[in-house]
Amino acid sequence: MASPALAVRPALALGRRRVVDRAMSVLFVAATVAAVTPLLLVVGYIAVQGAHGLSIALVTQLPAPVGEPGGGMGNAFVGSAILIAVASAIALPVGILSGVYLSEFGGGRFGDVLRFFTDVLTGVPSIVVGIVAYTILVVPLRSFSALSGGFALSIIMIPTVARTTEEALKRVPLTIREASLALGVHEWTTILRVVIPTGLAGIVTGAMLGIARISGETAPLLFTAFGSAFWQQGLLKPIAAVPLQIFQYAISPYTDWHEQAWAAALILMLLVLGLNVAIRAVTRTGFRTVR
Amino acid sequence: MSRTSLLTAGAVSVALLASACGGSAVPPSAASASGSAAPGGTVQLTGAGSTFDFPLFSKVFKDYQTKTGVQVNYQSVGSGSGVTQLTKRTVDFGASDFPLNDEQTKAAEAAGGPVVHVPITMGAVSVGYDLPIDGLTLDGPTLAGIYLGTITKWNDPRVAALNPGVTMPSTPIAVVHRSDGSGTTFIFTSYLSAVSPEWKSKVGASGTVNWPVGIGAKGSEGVSGQVTNTPGSIGYFELAYAKQNNIKSVTMKNAAGKLVEPSVKGASDAGAGAAANMPADLKAVFVNAPGDTSYPIAGFSWIIVFKHQKDKVKGQELIDLLKYVVTTGQQSAEPLYYAPLPKAVQDLDLKAISTITVGQ
Repeated sequence: MASPALAVRPALALGRRRVVDRAMSVLFVAATVAAVTPLLLVVGYIAVQGAHGLSIALVTQLPAPVGEPGGGMGNAFVGSAILIAVASAIALPVGILSGVYLSEFGGGRFGDVLRFFTDVLTGVPSIVVGIVAYTILVVPLRSFSALSGGFALSIIMIPTVARTTEEALKRVPLTIREASLALGVHEWTTILRVVIPTGLAGIVTGAMLGIARISGETAPLLFTAFGSAFWQQGLLKPIAAVPLQIFQYAISPYTDWHEQAWAAALILMLLVLGLNVAIRAVTRTGFRTVR
Repeated sequence: MSRTSLLTAGAVSVALLASACGGSAVPPSAASASGSAAPGGTVQLTGAGSTFDFPLFSKVFKDYQTKTGVQVNYQSVGSGSGVTQLTKRTVDFGASDFPLNDEQTKAAEAAGGPVVHVPITMGAVSVGYDLPIDGLTLDGPTLAGIYLGTITKWNDPRVAALNPGVTMPSTPIAVVHRSDGSGTTFIFTSYLSAVSPEWKSKVGASGTVNWPVGIGAKGSEGVSGQVTNTPGSIGYFELAYAKQNNIKSVTMKNAAGKLVEPSVKGASDAGAGAAANMPADLKAVFVNAPGDTSYPIAGFSWIIVFKHQKDKVKGQELIDLLKYVVTTGQQSAEPLYYAPLPKAVQDLDLKAISTITVGQ
């Protein structure tokens, strides 16, 4: 029954499949390259522009006025660290606890509503968050402050932390929970002693993602943290921040300020990149623990 | 991921927070970097407003800190924003390149009583262009024509007449203006209103106007960038941007019919005339000033404060600071392309500052 035509066809089909396979591979590789290129261009351009402005003074000294050589933005780096600490102090407990709630008890209608609001919060433009913080903290206190800046950043951070925590805990196998419950352990002890430790890598990832998310934010800080030319003065006083300082220097007419802005942008970018690399490392160890 | 490393991360953030909560506990390096801090705690004054004033303030306030230990934190959020923040009483002083209008005055008075305008510096607004021609000359009506859209080509006879012996290209004029509210725009449109009745009736003078033609750019950095990158363009920005970015500036025909390039001296000369007939509230606009050497597009910048300062310590510090800025501080103006205040204006300023009261 085997006609020559039939014998050839599978070979032809296979050949066509190979061609399609190749073509699609090339297409996907091209798409990936196109997606990565902007990142490489940005990183490369900032590295080239920022490299010769790098100096120890940049991260240790206070800003110098125009026309005077030297100076840095050490206060801005300290300020950013404080703002991130304040934001974390608010966002991590709230975010992690709501993540635990969503994962462990969020099956009902209230959980769905909460999840929906968390997702909406992710999409709120950061400048709007800044205005909220300005209205409820800056205006009543009659002062710009590190506190209001950290508060604004925490609002941006909370949904990221909550959703990542939820996803991490959902990945904890049901069998492990059941094993714990079968031994007569209370549900809350199970969550605290079994579920959370197992999903810890995911929770840490969420925290780091949240920090990476807020470290470059400028808009919510404009009318909250406000910026400062001095070392930090406490949580109720205006405070400097790296993105603010970059923004301010970038729009000035002076080349030495531009140079410092580029260098600071480079450092900020390296910090965020480093944080992302750390996240990868944490997630990888995390998988090993689960297995 | 071990538990200990998470705890470490937690401990680090707690430690950071603790140091942040420590109030005025500044890092040890701060004391050496900021010179002598005043004994018994540092006083900090906060101001916001004009981007134009920022470079000058960064220098003057630093010098003031070295001298007195008082920290003045100034943030350049824009003139309009500075006025708003003053009205919201989130800052101790505002800085603006245009005086408060009636509406703003009403809002400010409702919030904290009457305000005092203190002229603190003067600046020239440069009209930059991008053409392969040096020393382009324009007069007020022609410039108004360009911004009204009635002159659209560089070889328009009205432009050519002002530039005898120069072959003007036939390229269209690309008009650039500010898209955001700005003191620079206030000075520029005040000038166009002063020299062109058509501009005055159709557009008027304000920090933000309805531009008949042209494209908007944000901030002076945006306008100067746009002019640098667009052949055949024209735009306006503070003198410092023209000098620092090597942008060619239009030579203007002033009220006396003389040709003047934008310069610190040109602004000073224009301002000197304004000192003679200064209004009582010091809200003077001196565009198109008389005098052979006066540059016509120039203006004051003001620090605006409440006349009555409730906080005794801060109020007194503010008064001392203002006195310093309008006198000694003027020495820093010229190297940064600001025009120092004429002596007569300084005296008027000191008189205005002396009306500020402190206490309950």
